[in-house]
Amino acid sequence: MAALIYSRSYRAYDFGAEHPFSPARQEMALDLLAALGHEVTWHEPRPATREEILEVHSTAYVRAVEALSAGEAAADAEKWGLGTPDTPVFPGIELAARTLVGGTLAAARLVAQSAEKRVLHFGGGLHHAQRERASGFCVYNDLAVAIKYLTTCGLWVSYLDIDVHHGDGVQAIFNADDKVQTISLHESGQYLFPGTGAIHELGEGMGRGLKINLPLEPFTEGESYLEQFEKVVPRALEAFGPHVLVVQAGADAHFDDPLADLALTTRDYERLFRRILELADGVTAGKVIFTLGGGYSLNAASRVWAILYLLVNDLQVPDTIPEAWSQRWAKHLGGKAAAGLHDLDPAYPPMPHHDEIMQRNRVVAGRLLDAMVPFWY
Amino acid sequence: MLVRDIMSTAVVTIPVDGNVGRVCELMHERNIRHLPVLEEGRLVGVITDRDIGSATSALCLRPLNPEVLVRDVMAHPPKTAHPMDPVEDAARTMRTLKIGCLPVVEGEQLVGIITGIDLLDALLRLTGVDKPSGRVELCLADRFGELARLTAFIAERRLNILSILTYPEGHGDGRTVLRVNTLETRPLAEDLRRAGFEVLWPPAKPWQH
Repeated sequence: MAALIYSRSYRAYDFGAEHPFSPARQEMALDLLAALGHEVTWHEPRPATREEILEVHSTAYVRAVEALSAGEAAADAEKWGLGTPDTPVFPGIELAARTLVGGTLAAARLVAQSAEKRVLHFGGGLHHAQRERASGFCVYNDLAVAIKYLTTCGLWVSYLDIDVHHGDGVQAIFNADDKVQTISLHESGQYLFPGTGAIHELGEGMGRGLKINLPLEPFTEGESYLEQFEKVVPRALEAFGPHVLVVQAGADAHFDDPLADLALTTRDYERLFRRILELADGVTAGKVIFTLGGGYSLNAASRVWAILYLLVNDLQVPDTIPEAWSQRWAKHLGGKAAAGLHDLDPAYPPMPHHDEIMQRNRVVAGRLLDAMVPFWY
Repeated sequence: MLVRDIMSTAVVTIPVDGNVGRVCELMHERNIRHLPVLEEGRLVGVITDRDIGSATSALCLRPLNPEVLVRDVMAHPPKTAHPMDPVEDAARTMRTLKIGCLPVVEGEQLVGIITGIDLLDALLRLTGVDKPSGRVELCLADRFGELARLTAFIAERRLNILSILTYPEGHGDGRTVLRVNTLETRPLAEDLRRAGFEVLWPPAKPWQH
């Protein structure tokens, strides 16, 4: 069994009906689990305090977020990455952002202070937020605050980011930290936001060799994704030997995602989640925290995260999807009701350039492994 | 971008009456490949690792010994750049002559050096990413106002263009690469297509045609 952390108050982190980062995503997943007959209960976290936020973000930035949140003059909002189409400001955004941080921090506390091994946070994963800048829907970096807390408990942390976008904020915040390993698999920054996450970004100073990036070609499919994952991630974790694994489980590498170009299916996600749990069992004695993240196809993200919940709780992943759920969320599903909890198989027609994409991913993963040689052996 | 923006100013030099053995040492110590040669403080030539190699190799017809003077091996008169030359002028000169460096001279004074490596750094800066951003690539029609129409379209959506690179493709139309401060480049690309732009990246997904 795993602990679940969630709060209905996460609804407040809402940039508006037209914005892709919708709180409906995890509500749909929870409702789907209920429809499947699971009695889902959760720990209700408290919002992170200002002091906890300041462990990662600068005072000047937090002040700016507070002022904007209270409706004060927003002339320099853009300097902080706020008031942009991606990360607009709304009244109360500061508390809403702190509430999400509180959830990931609660997960970290459970793992650090109790016998709890697996904790699933049904929110958070705001990996783009930087020390002094909001970016890509992210105001405060819940992952970084939680990881920082874990390191102050004396724990070494491996951060694994499977969101389709590079985990740039978390990497930058711990770039020179020797207690935190970051591993990000993402669509290549050559093609996708935020543009970083190349294999040569290896960290600085004491953190050199602990920041690992595996950029993948657009239209990479599950087979190739899992092949490169297998080449890099187990070795990286073994080499570092962390006490805790923190996973940002964005669902936007799914083929149906409207903002990115990888082509994983729900079946690939199931394999990936199972493998991550297995690695955690081997490397961190099972201590693992999952957060959500990107995932902008409501149809895909809600199913991927329901599958994640079932797997961390060692439950069966059923084939069918309750009709009542599909009807309840028909509007959000955009007329594309899923046939089952999993995608159809095959989920899409054969991909053009399939072989080229696989080869190129192999070459890039090979280059990354070459770059890691001095650090691992 | 001017030569002075990318040149190295801490220039390692060699006097014209130094010997090639010393040149070799300097190049190894400082991990460099090009030395401007000075005579009474004035630039009179350039000596490269290749000059040394071809002059002293046992494979050449009459190999020279390490005591040979720089003046007998150096290239002269040297090709130079001015600090206010556009970088592309320096690049063109180096490309045309197939040479690896240009000493930068202002009046009589050697003030810097620009090498192929500095040009690569410049390329990385021009194409680099220094703020989180998404990439949009278009093929713009070769007629007036197209770029203005594009930037106005993006400004209307309150997006900030962080870098823009436009280059000709050799058959009229030009390739334009934008970096924009948004994660939502796919919806932006769809809007651009609807407004009649030819967007190359991000493409429509094969299964969403």
